[in-house]
Amino acid sequence: MKAWRTALTALLCAGLALALGAAMLALPGFAVRLPGQVAANLDDSGVAHPVTAVLLNFRGYDTLLEVAVLLLALLGVFALSLHGSGHARPSAPAHPVLQTLARLLAPLMVLVAGYLLWIGAHAPGGAFQAGAVLAAAGVLLRLAGLLPAWAQPGRLLRGGLALGLLVFLAVAAAALAQGSLLQYPLAYAGPLILLVEAGLTLSIGLTLAGLYLASAGWRQ
Amino acid sequence: MTDFLDPLPWLIVLPLAWGTLAFVLGPGRGGRLAVAAIALQGALALQLAGQLIDSGARVYAVGGWGASLGIDLMADGLAVVMLLLTQAVALPLAVYARGYFAASPKGRELFWPLTGFLLAALNALFLSADLFNIYVTLELLGLAAVGLVAIAGGTQPVTAAMRYLLATLLGSGAWLLGVALIYGTYGSVSLAVLTPLIHSGAPLAVPLAAALMLAGLLLKTALFPFHFWLPPAHGGAPAPVSALLSALVIKATFYLALRLWLELFLPLTTVAAAQLLGALGAAAILWGSVLALMQSRLKMLVAYSTVAQVGYLFLLFPLATQVPPAAAESALAGGVMQAVAHGLAKAAMFAAAGSMIVATGRDDIGHLGGVGVRLPLTLFSFGLAGVTLMGLPPSGGFSAKWLLLGSALETGQWWWVVVMIVGGLLTAAYVFKVLRRAFLPRAAGDRVARVPRTLEFSAFALALASILLGLFGAPLLELLAVGRAA
Repeated sequence: MKAWRTALTALLCAGLALALGAAMLALPGFAVRLPGQVAANLDDSGVAHPVTAVLLNFRGYDTLLEVAVLLLALLGVFALSLHGSGHARPSAPAHPVLQTLARLLAPLMVLVAGYLLWIGAHAPGGAFQAGAVLAAAGVLLRLAGLLPAWAQPGRLLRGGLALGLLVFLAVAAAALAQGSLLQYPLAYAGPLILLVEAGLTLSIGLTLAGLYLASAGWRQ
Repeated sequence: MTDFLDPLPWLIVLPLAWGTLAFVLGPGRGGRLAVAAIALQGALALQLAGQLIDSGARVYAVGGWGASLGIDLMADGLAVVMLLLTQAVALPLAVYARGYFAASPKGRELFWPLTGFLLAALNALFLSADLFNIYVTLELLGLAAVGLVAIAGGTQPVTAAMRYLLATLLGSGAWLLGVALIYGTYGSVSLAVLTPLIHSGAPLAVPLAAALMLAGLLLKTALFPFHFWLPPAHGGAPAPVSALLSALVIKATFYLALRLWLELFLPLTTVAAAQLLGALGAAAILWGSVLALMQSRLKMLVAYSTVAQVGYLFLLFPLATQVPPAAAESALAGGVMQAVAHGLAKAAMFAAAGSMIVATGRDDIGHLGGVGVRLPLTLFSFGLAGVTLMGLPPSGGFSAKWLLLGSALETGQWWWVVVMIVGGLLTAAYVFKVLRRAFLPRAAGDRVARVPRTLEFSAFALALASILLGLFGAPLLELLAVGRAA
């Protein structure tokens, strides 16, 4: 029975792979050329880097929802640990070399995150990369035993987690007065995108770190 | 200033905002905020419906860019009917949930933030006109739903949530693969740009993408034989969660399947594929009803009833494919009416079942004796919801099945008529199984406590709405026709 199922699964996968391969070989040229449209509208986007322009302006609405997905993932972790055993992951014995290294590296990582945030406007970088570096600093400090696990995120921490999404929502809604959702006024597009990205950097950093640190979960 | 008060974007911004604020407020907080905000969302959806009746379907360019560079939202009759259903189900359920979690606090810590995100995902999904944006809304919807299944804690709900997570991720993955193939073929993900392109010629990648996307949606809608994840997930969650999931979440992916079938991939649809979908629907009706009849736990019975009722939705596909336009419109009206009627009735049924479980202290049909005396209004709501599910006049379920039956007879597909009649009889059997028990006197050693009034009245409001839908369904069908080429 089990062999049959394996064989059937393998057959289905092989069939799908063949069909995908055949479809790839038969692809025609694009009817719509989006990269050209992005380049043509880059000057009106408020930033000079096409990826940031797509993420925060042209398709900023997708990013808005994705930030909510990220927060939701953390809520899912809280939900799973809600009624669990509740004991914190045992922290490794504090190693003096690791602790010293972490103390040296953490401020540098915050600096790198700030740089990535700033440079995102005209080079590869931006809120997601900066947030990932911040989160890595948090995990490093936790591994070195310098940061406690989140037994119960307090209001300040919850506010920090929600800040990016709230700032993004506020900017998106304020733009309604000008025209449509997320339609930045041309003159302020650059500063507004930087404001949104700054909020996102903090919240994404906290959220990603939280996926690791929230071992003891969410209790009343 | 009129732009600022446009109801369309606020239907998405508002639930995201109150969901996030409920999270910041803290564990279990935010219920009152949620009730007020959902009432406002209901008013916004009604305002949007009024705009559509007056001046036709709307396209909304987020960021002012327009497709293909930016993302478009679109509100036509079908989308707004689903928006109205969402807010109409969510408002009584929010009132219900406040009472329910006061009586049975397990899982209340994260209910409100997750519900806010869930409603934002639903509203965004119904309004989206962009294949990649729909993928993002599917992820938001799936993760919120999985989180809600897990909030009660314990081995069984967490196992059900993990199984649900794997199923829903596989479904989203299939959708994303399809979107990648479509983008690779045409270079755009906007529905408005893609529809004429696909209608004028589709290379091999497009039918493959269509099959993948549809398969992913069927998995997420829990159509037989993909229903394996639904009963444990819907049957194990707290009652307000079960109601939200059964009434709304599976309807969202059904809605997408319908849109793809009737609009984007219309030239690729075949009678054989439509008959296959109808056959799966028929199998779901029979299999789900029989299994519902065999359950001993009340919530599992209601969950298997959802498996069966999903089947009726898919009878619409053979009835609307390559048939005269009048028959197809009647089938579409019947299918959408079934989605709305089932949404209201199933929310009422899960809410009533939750009240009975709170009152008796256990989820067991064998110990419902005495409920009829102690909770008459709750039992009446359960019965009214049952009337809608069976399709008896004058309920919304009757209108839905009447339209579907008419369309089946008109197109000469009598075999679906047989399935619908047998399904109605089986539904009556499992509804009466519960009612019969509840009218028996209380057994020695059982207890039936009173429950808060809000629990009884919110379930009754939903059940009553599902009945009134049959009497006053005409404006809804008028709205549904907005934006559909006659």
